[in-house]
Amino acid sequence: MYKINASKELKHIMKNYFSDLKNSPKPIAWCTSVGPAELLRSFGFEVYFPENHGALLGATRKAMDTIPVASKIGYPSDICSYLTADIGSHIQKSSPLLKHYGLESPPRPDLIVYNTNQCREVQDWFSYFGDQFNCPVSGIVPPRHLDDVKQADIDNVSSQFKALVPECERISGNTFDIDKFRHTLRLSKEATYLWKKVLETSKNSPAPISFFDATIHMGPIVVLRGTETALDYYNLLLDELDVNVVNKTGFLKKESSRIYWEGMPIWGRLRFLSELFAQHNSAVVASTYCNSWIFDDFDERKPFESSALAYTTIFINRSEKAKLKTLKSLIKDFRIDGVIFHEAKTCFNNSNSRFGMPRKLKDETGVETLIVEGDLCDLRFFSEEQSTIKIETLLEQISS
Amino acid sequence: MHFLGVDIGSLYTKLLIINSGFEVLYSDIFKTLARNNKRDDILSKLIKEYKIDYSCSTGYGRKLMKSANIVKTELYCASAGVTQLAPIEKTIIDIGGEDIKLLKSGANAKVIDFYMNSKCAAGTGAFITEVAERAELDVADMSRLAASSKSVKELNSFCTVFAKTEIMKWIFDDTTDEDLAKGIYISIANRIQKIPADNSLPVFLIGGVARYHPFLKNILEEKFNIKVTIPENPQLINAFGAACIARNSFVNK
Repeated sequence: MYKINASKELKHIMKNYFSDLKNSPKPIAWCTSVGPAELLRSFGFEVYFPENHGALLGATRKAMDTIPVASKIGYPSDICSYLTADIGSHIQKSSPLLKHYGLESPPRPDLIVYNTNQCREVQDWFSYFGDQFNCPVSGIVPPRHLDDVKQADIDNVSSQFKALVPECERISGNTFDIDKFRHTLRLSKEATYLWKKVLETSKNSPAPISFFDATIHMGPIVVLRGTETALDYYNLLLDELDVNVVNKTGFLKKESSRIYWEGMPIWGRLRFLSELFAQHNSAVVASTYCNSWIFDDFDERKPFESSALAYTTIFINRSEKAKLKTLKSLIKDFRIDGVIFHEAKTCFNNSNSRFGMPRKLKDETGVETLIVEGDLCDLRFFSEEQSTIKIETLLEQISS
Repeated sequence: MHFLGVDIGSLYTKLLIINSGFEVLYSDIFKTLARNNKRDDILSKLIKEYKIDYSCSTGYGRKLMKSANIVKTELYCASAGVTQLAPIEKTIIDIGGEDIKLLKSGANAKVIDFYMNSKCAAGTGAFITEVAERAELDVADMSRLAASSKSVKELNSFCTVFAKTEIMKWIFDDTTDEDLAKGIYISIANRIQKIPADNSLPVFLIGGVARYHPFLKNILEEKFNIKVTIPENPQLINAFGAACIARNSFVNK
């Protein structure tokens, strides 16, 4: 059975990351997953990512218990299920972090920072915790849904990054050091470059890493970018996958079709979906989601401007036109036969099937497209049997 | 040579045997129940009696038939079955017990596009049964009743439970049985209206609902200004399609 050996090291790294959050004397900053992590690290903050907790609540299916708790206090179950699962977990004082990493709860924040480049929900989610912990909350609010990111947009966001500095200095007790920021940004860029190379190994057939595996191996690029640890890990992982490419060892022995997954993972059904595709020798080789942590634009020579560009130019913050262009390019590069659009009921911002995209993509590329309704955490929105029929029909379409 | 198609649906199991000339030699319909041993008994008997050369299973329970040579989704079987009757590009609407499937099917039976509900059973056979029960209508009599109604009143709610509440209000307002029946059908048509479809193509209505509620065809024709065909034995089309796939796969082996 195909196995990625680096997984052992991954477990070790993630355990250490959470252990540091628990034991480190450093101040703690909470940050959105595509927020200004590098800037925060340059001040010496340990950085914690609530979305990572949301994903864990989803993957462990604990979210099914915690979402209703948040609903009771006015956060209904049809808004972001990361938000509702996380707030419910806080109220319930119950977190899978205890079982998996020995933390009774997420670490208490000294500063909370968001970037609404992904959605407005993070602002209200983080503000809730600001109130709960009597903790300052700061945010970056970039222009959204852009065709192109223009200089005026970069100037706007760059000045918002700079405006965070005094608050970071006050809370961390450290003076801003641009060389530390440059260093962190360089580490982050190098790690994201390696992450990109990791994902690109699956341009090969048989592909050595599936979308489902990548959702696990992306842990360090989300929570540890800007550190040597992330860099070392992706060097290790890439080396292993490169060897597998040379040896023609893939997660499937035979690929009958190659699939692109658009949208959020369905965290509580990753194994089910992975097995379903494998049964049909269908390789899910690429995704928008895992590509979201590739930041080609980081440039240590212009740390503020390039951070502004990199974090504003991300897929989720772009117009339908720009998204279509990106998808078309990935379909070509990864030799994709079919695209699955996951329409996540509680994640409007990361569901790209609602403005005619599947139809346009099919018309312009000839690949089959399918919308699967579900959710990132709330499995009440996912029908296993109906989705199976839809996916199997798509695979029949591709093979016929 | 004989070929067996088995459609194990959420409510009913449909069996059908054809010869290599696509002639139907046998068909049967019975309730699908997890604890129903009848299916396995009948299948074993038929396979032996008809000396089945190849078989294909489909439907929600398609993976239950261990002896099947091929397993296909019901969308592909619907396409294969209707194409055998009408080898043209077409739209197929398949309304079953718990789902609606709508597909664009090629002249060569390829599924070009498809849609199916996956979050809610509004507009399906179960919806009709539930709402009709609340209205105390005999489902077998609904088409006859609806045919004599001039009403254009429709149930607004897609939610089956709320539709039941809504129809209670109609009953309180002394709505006739004829208008109740037609209102339920219009609600189904409204559900279908939201599904992307190519209305320039001939439309075929299949599935259990087409069999028991033929007046739905008139509602769809009137509402969408299209011509709708209900093939003979619409509930058996997917089993027929499965048998055709078995036959074609065997011949092309």
